[in-house]
Amino acid sequence: MKRKIVAMLLAGGQGSRLKSLTYDIAKPAIPFGGKYRIIDFPLSNCVNSEIHTVGVLTQYQPHVLHNYIGLGTPWDLDRRAGGVTMLTPYAGMEGIKWYDGTANAIYQNIKYLTEQDPQYVIILSGDHIYKMNYQTMLDFHIEQNAGATISVIEVPWKDASRFGIMNTDENMQVKEFVEKPAEPESNLASMGVYIFDWAKLKKYLLIDNDNENSSHDFGKDIIPLMLGEGEKMVAYPYKGYWKDVGTVESLWEANMDLLNSNSGLNLNDPDWRIFSSNPQLPPQVVGENGYLQEALINEGCVINGKVEKSIVFQDVEVKEGASLYECVVMNCVKIGSGAKLSRVIIPPDLIIPENFELKEQGDEIVLLTQDLIEEWKGSVGK
Amino acid sequence: MRMAAVIDATVKKPGLEDLTIYRTTASVPFAGRYRLIDFTLSNIVNSNINSVGVFATYPFVSLLDHIGMGKNWDLDRRKDGLYFLPISQKAGGQITVGSFAALEEHMDFFNKSRQDYIVVTTCSTVCQIDYEDMLDAHITSGVDITEAVSGETGLSNYILKKSLLKELIRTHREKRIISVEDVVKLKKAPYTFGKYEYTGYYAIIDSMESYFQASMDLLEKDKRNELFLSNRPIYTKVKDEPPTRYMPGSHVTQSLIANGSTIEGTVNNSIISRAVSVNQSSRVDHCVIMQKSFIEKNCELSYVIADKDVHIEEGVILKGTREKPVVLRKGERVTKEEVR
Repeated sequence: MKRKIVAMLLAGGQGSRLKSLTYDIAKPAIPFGGKYRIIDFPLSNCVNSEIHTVGVLTQYQPHVLHNYIGLGTPWDLDRRAGGVTMLTPYAGMEGIKWYDGTANAIYQNIKYLTEQDPQYVIILSGDHIYKMNYQTMLDFHIEQNAGATISVIEVPWKDASRFGIMNTDENMQVKEFVEKPAEPESNLASMGVYIFDWAKLKKYLLIDNDNENSSHDFGKDIIPLMLGEGEKMVAYPYKGYWKDVGTVESLWEANMDLLNSNSGLNLNDPDWRIFSSNPQLPPQVVGENGYLQEALINEGCVINGKVEKSIVFQDVEVKEGASLYECVVMNCVKIGSGAKLSRVIIPPDLIIPENFELKEQGDEIVLLTQDLIEEWKGSVGK
Repeated sequence: MRMAAVIDATVKKPGLEDLTIYRTTASVPFAGRYRLIDFTLSNIVNSNINSVGVFATYPFVSLLDHIGMGKNWDLDRRKDGLYFLPISQKAGGQITVGSFAALEEHMDFFNKSRQDYIVVTTCSTVCQIDYEDMLDAHITSGVDITEAVSGETGLSNYILKKSLLKELIRTHREKRIISVEDVVKLKKAPYTFGKYEYTGYYAIIDSMESYFQASMDLLEKDKRNELFLSNRPIYTKVKDEPPTRYMPGSHVTQSLIANGSTIEGTVNNSIISRAVSVNQSSRVDHCVIMQKSFIEKNCELSYVIADKDVHIEEGVILKGTREKPVVLRKGERVTKEEVR
């Protein structure tokens, strides 16, 4: 069956800058925002944009992601036609081929795309927090009669050298794409969201694959190759909230943005729900000694301590006398009485002992680990 | 499994009319994110029963919408699973459990089921009963019908052989019996009766007072912990509500709060359902506020039960009592002028 557009969601990222959070799960599976995982955002964007055929490309520690996505039911992607398909690297007659670069990952799934037979392909990455209507971007792509459309966001000039930067003319036509320029000419950063005409993309994927010197990356290879061939390429200016949550700091910041009504990251929009797998847990309980200020709390939590400016995931217990300030507490964490934590990300299932306190952390955001807890236990002789 | 279950959702509770104008007793919201039937259905599936007939009477749209094909309870099966069995008006509005006139309209459910025993239950008893255990007791005792009780109180849960139930349904007119509950109450000859003692928390919800009391029970840790067990979860239709947001200036204690709400005011000793807004400087004390209700600024509510979609305008003061809570019907809009 012919499809108008198919999404290819790159979800293989290791995310090594997120340290122990990605020890055994891929970055897109990292919990975010109290009840979500990062990948819920692009997946929800797809279904909210009425894209119902999504290939999810996984590679690094995929089992949590595979288990999580399952048949795609929470996102309404359990469909007879299309729906969600998990695309892992596989062995063929010539041996096992790992995904080697973003473009190579798509190249290796040409068969899947050919079966779906779309007119357009949208490439997404599984590690950004944003709400975007891809359909509007597709309309722009069609209107502009472009071979490729890249969505861009204005970043602060001082940060521009950390991104892939688009240099465009006044009609938003891309003249040049520069990865992490030392002296950026523009502050339009690529969001890693690309729409291509499938026939055109296929052609350039085949050319790129034959090029032994290529790193098989969209930003570094495919885009420059297409520009070099004179293909019309346009930048689609996106105005909403967007955040790459690649580091402990940025993951924490994006969580904190949820507490700020002016950040642009609103989860409470009934017309643009972020869908997620919802566990069957009772409502949250705020006890007699519970104290909550500027906090997001979820099902199954029992709050008897003090929680300020924090995001608390499902099934967390905060005992009496414990206090949290600017923390991200992931699911099933138990916080012992008298424990004091501020500016900390607590990974799932950790048990924080009574009276635990982090010393000398300064301004830095700490990612709590069992090792840090053991170290503390040693220092207080417990 | 040897048991199938019948949920009698035709039972009307005259004392619950404020909450059942647009819905069955089975779909009355309870405990912030549930409907009464969730407790019944969860007991059934937690007892490894996977053939369930839900006998419902009009108005059942909200019930049907809630349970659908039973997916959230794992009852969307190829074999067995959930059967929604609506009955005609003439057999509707029963006040006793296991009404034969209603069951008779869907004899096929019993004819097709392969299970030898039937649990007959209702939605107005909230508890954590184990029907496997009850069946063991039933078989061991050798009686015809076993009733679950807690002390002197009957819980309106019965187990009997399917063959006996079919016989009772077939002969109910000539024998002048109207329901399983009736047979048990009258200790009808020649049948024998037994009791199964249930020891956990229970609430029988048959009036606004008992509804309110059962809601307030949930604020007590011990009772709550007897009802919400991690190894026997209460399943419900899940919704994609975001986390609940506690805004600057909010003050919340001793409350049960579902996801998707926004709290700016003060909430004490209350049950707050999904997607409720309590705005600045409003106080909610000993209340049950259901889904999507909106409380504007500077309101003061105590001992109030607000059904879904209730809108309370700025500055409204409503005070009920524990014995007689103020009840606001679904979709009602309360303005300052018409304060009771």
